[in-house]
Amino acid sequence: MEKPKDSSYNYHELNAMLNLYGADGKIQFEKDRQAARQYFLEHVNKNTVFFHNLKERLDYLVEDEYYEKELLDKYSFEFITKIHDYAYSFKFRFESFLGAFKFYTSYALKTFDGNRYLERFEDRIVMTALLLAEGDEQRAMTLVAEIISGRFQPATPTFLNSGKAQRGELVSCFLLRTEDNMESIARSINSSLQLSKRGGGVALLLTNIRESGAPIKKIEGQSSGVIPVMKMLEDAFSYANQLGARQGAGAVYLNVHHPDILKFLDTKRENADEKVRIKSLSLGVVVPDITLDLARTNEDMYLFSPYDVEKVYGVPMSDISVTEKYQEMVDDARIRKSKIKARKLFETIAELQFESGYPYIVYEDTVNRDNPIAGRINMSNLCSEILQVNTPTTYNEDLSYNQVGKDISCNLGSLNIAKTMDSPNFPLTVEAAIRALTAVSDLSNIASVTSIKDGNDKSHAIGLGQMNLHGYLARERIHYGSDEGVDFTNIYFYTILFHALTASNKIAKERNKTFVGFEKSKYASGEFFKKYIEKEWKPMTARVAQLFTESNIAIPTQDDWKALSEEIKQHGIYNQNLQAVPPTGSISYINNSTSSIHPVASKIEIRKEGKLGRVYYPAPYLTNDNLEYYADAYEIGPEKIIATYAAATQHVDQGLSLTLFFKDTATTRDINKAQITAWKAGIKTIYYIRIRQMALEGTEVSDCVSCML
Amino acid sequence: MSDMLISSSESDKKMKLASKITRPVNWNKIEDPIDLEVWNRLTSNFWLPEKVPLSNDIPSWATLRPEEQSLTMRVFTGLTLLDTIQGTVGALTLIPDALTMHEEAVYTNISFMESVHAKSYSSIFSTLSATAEIDDAFRWSEENVNLQRKAEIVLNYYRGDNPLKRKVASTLLESFLFYSGFYLPMYWSSRAKLTNTADLIRLIIRDEAVHGYYVGYKFQKGMELETPAYRAEIKAYTYDLLLELYENEIKYSADLYDPLGLTEDVKHFLHYNANKALMNLGFEALFPHESTQVNPAIMSALSPNADENHDFFSGSGSSYVIGKHEATKDEDWEF
Repeated sequence: MEKPKDSSYNYHELNAMLNLYGADGKIQFEKDRQAARQYFLEHVNKNTVFFHNLKERLDYLVEDEYYEKELLDKYSFEFITKIHDYAYSFKFRFESFLGAFKFYTSYALKTFDGNRYLERFEDRIVMTALLLAEGDEQRAMTLVAEIISGRFQPATPTFLNSGKAQRGELVSCFLLRTEDNMESIARSINSSLQLSKRGGGVALLLTNIRESGAPIKKIEGQSSGVIPVMKMLEDAFSYANQLGARQGAGAVYLNVHHPDILKFLDTKRENADEKVRIKSLSLGVVVPDITLDLARTNEDMYLFSPYDVEKVYGVPMSDISVTEKYQEMVDDARIRKSKIKARKLFETIAELQFESGYPYIVYEDTVNRDNPIAGRINMSNLCSEILQVNTPTTYNEDLSYNQVGKDISCNLGSLNIAKTMDSPNFPLTVEAAIRALTAVSDLSNIASVTSIKDGNDKSHAIGLGQMNLHGYLARERIHYGSDEGVDFTNIYFYTILFHALTASNKIAKERNKTFVGFEKSKYASGEFFKKYIEKEWKPMTARVAQLFTESNIAIPTQDDWKALSEEIKQHGIYNQNLQAVPPTGSISYINNSTSSIHPVASKIEIRKEGKLGRVYYPAPYLTNDNLEYYADAYEIGPEKIIATYAAATQHVDQGLSLTLFFKDTATTRDINKAQITAWKAGIKTIYYIRIRQMALEGTEVSDCVSCML
Repeated sequence: MSDMLISSSESDKKMKLASKITRPVNWNKIEDPIDLEVWNRLTSNFWLPEKVPLSNDIPSWATLRPEEQSLTMRVFTGLTLLDTIQGTVGALTLIPDALTMHEEAVYTNISFMESVHAKSYSSIFSTLSATAEIDDAFRWSEENVNLQRKAEIVLNYYRGDNPLKRKVASTLLESFLFYSGFYLPMYWSSRAKLTNTADLIRLIIRDEAVHGYYVGYKFQKGMELETPAYRAEIKAYTYDLLLELYENEIKYSADLYDPLGLTEDVKHFLHYNANKALMNLGFEALFPHESTQVNPAIMSALSPNADENHDFFSGSGSSYVIGKHEATKDEDWEF
């Protein structure tokens, strides 16, 4: 039979050909571009509602309650026409099939029956810019340029929901404390439902819940511990989804010195009983320095009853430093305790990571040492990049609030490193991003969870992220994790921090307002700036110095920092937190980036998502000529990834989602060694552990790109 | 029907075992390194269907048209039947022919995993469908002439007394006959349907790929001991059997896929896998390269490697392994 011509392939098939070598043994990049074109011809254009002009379109969308009238009313029609024309003048084209496919399947506004598109990419950007500019025309124009040029990309909830009349929240991410009483547990489940419904991922702190077998009302052996709470949460998350847009997702964090820690981990075992097995909830453990120290000396580690700890110290277990109080608690007969081998704990963690990728790890003491804000950090979020202080909430008997504590929300958005390095005005790009994220915080009002609303009103915390590091390095012919690669990461994040703080300071001046608690922060005391004023930060390699020179980006000097530190001491900053580097899934495809600051998982990545099925994504800027710069994460190995992240971490106030990748020859010991290396390097959190298994020789699919080492 | 078969193969086996001296299996003395390699691979690949969040596919299942649902059910009952044969008769009949003790151990593992596969299809059924529809599909599998014929051919060869022929039958089953069924979940997943089900099937494909490879390898080992004349005879036999199965498989595929117009592409897929099965047996390809050009979306969907990237919204994927345990040493903890 004759082989069908390309034109007879549909876009799915053309895209899949990206994963199969061509007859010449080369990767068929052109097939993916054809797939993108074919997708528009076959699908998008045919299924887009046609309007004669902008006026007709907007009237229809407002009339039929697709767009928010109040938002469009903030601007004149003349300006809205101008900004649309401006957006379309960029002649944007998606670089990959997945980018286009992802946008139209998951982001573009559709008719209520879900069958036809009402927006193109440009329209979505305009609506996002109009919303985040809060009525300021110049800022709206700037934002359109930043987003459509690919420099700044708001996180999914913001980009998905902006300007739509029927929508979820603009914020991605919530962190809640659960205290050791039924009111708080019930509140947590309720809040999880409410927040999932609004599109967030929710993480909950379970450290303070009394362990299984602890007394209830002084009657011994009554409590069933954290596992049943996890079960309830898991069900809550699978029930709630954001208008069907995506499933609710949740994570739970537990301190490793909680007596239920091994049971907690065992819920992810392959052979766990159905009653205790946790399938879709993500797990994280909070590890204090003392645990590593006990493992170092190969001693037992004591686990402490949170019920007793709270009685003795008068504060929940999450609010004391286990490292600091460890010996005291060991010696205190009032606190019941059990013990396990510290090294055994780490081995168990690594075993579970093999089987399930979980748990995430938070190095609690590192996090708190590097925290510029007064208070304590005791958990992270669903992607382990949010690290903020919190306080407990107490309830009355009728479940109303007695004292509203502070819980955490965080809105994210990421800069594309390559595009930002190409920016005609680097400081402005950072400032526009900080302002856009601040607007999200201003516009957010999560009334259903008072502790979240209060927290946001007081902190205006945002998380500016970064993506496309590997793409940028490869484009510049630098190997990921090489001296030049790490040097670039250091100087880039250093420069970003300077401009992010400058922008937040500018906002504080304009509004004459700082986040609540600024005066107690290390920004106010000046301690934060010490390392930048006392030490000179500059590129160590000629190549990196050259990159910044060619891009016309000034690297801040010690004098610049001195001046900034004075300005901040005087006027403060508006945002309690500024940076957090998320894993960037969907948005990096739309933006044509490599995810976060990770190496690529594969030259041609296979992406599986509920709504997309299996789709193939070529690494950005990859050609058949520069393959050598696209070593994948498994080949690169944990050391170089840790070195890269460590360079960035020192300039990021919150965390960075750090996934470690291993080949299937790795053992639990290799994972443990990487965890120790990461801790020593000052890494704050570890996200997933990924193991790649290669097909047994002789069983692989022939001509498959992603199957090759 | 299957009861009867088990008892007849059981008696076969007893006769064979009686003539052997019983020795304990010593994994410290490996005669064929492939045994250990495959054993390690199979054990680290161990999985259970409960691992995969199939219930996430319920909304997607509801979007399939009735005829698509019924096709899907039928395909899975067909696969269940094959895995039942393989788990209860197939791999077990290979044990008496084993050349090494370790080979026997590998077959027991294969046999167990085939039962896991058979049970996995039941998980899919019970998650997606109601009892009446499940019963319908099972009735169809009992009444479909071509499916029953396929089972009969394979079973006959398992019952036969020739070890090499049994391995040929087994390899063709593992590497060829399953794939008319595997086509469909790969097709759905390439269209963003039933993606978690596809993950589960991909785990099965991952296993079957190793099984087919291993039995084929053992077949080649066995062939090395034979005379050239006999080898030629076995080879001719293999092609005859393949063609007999192929003819039947084409009819079976047409029964299933004609209503959706996919039969032509399924054929290409069968050609591709027939060649793969022959390759496992050490023989040259039968179907010309052009006729094995499967729809690229299906081909790409086959790769079960861990390059697949997914987040917490997407379920666990088809790529994880059970870890190798190794205690840390003091020097790891120097800080």
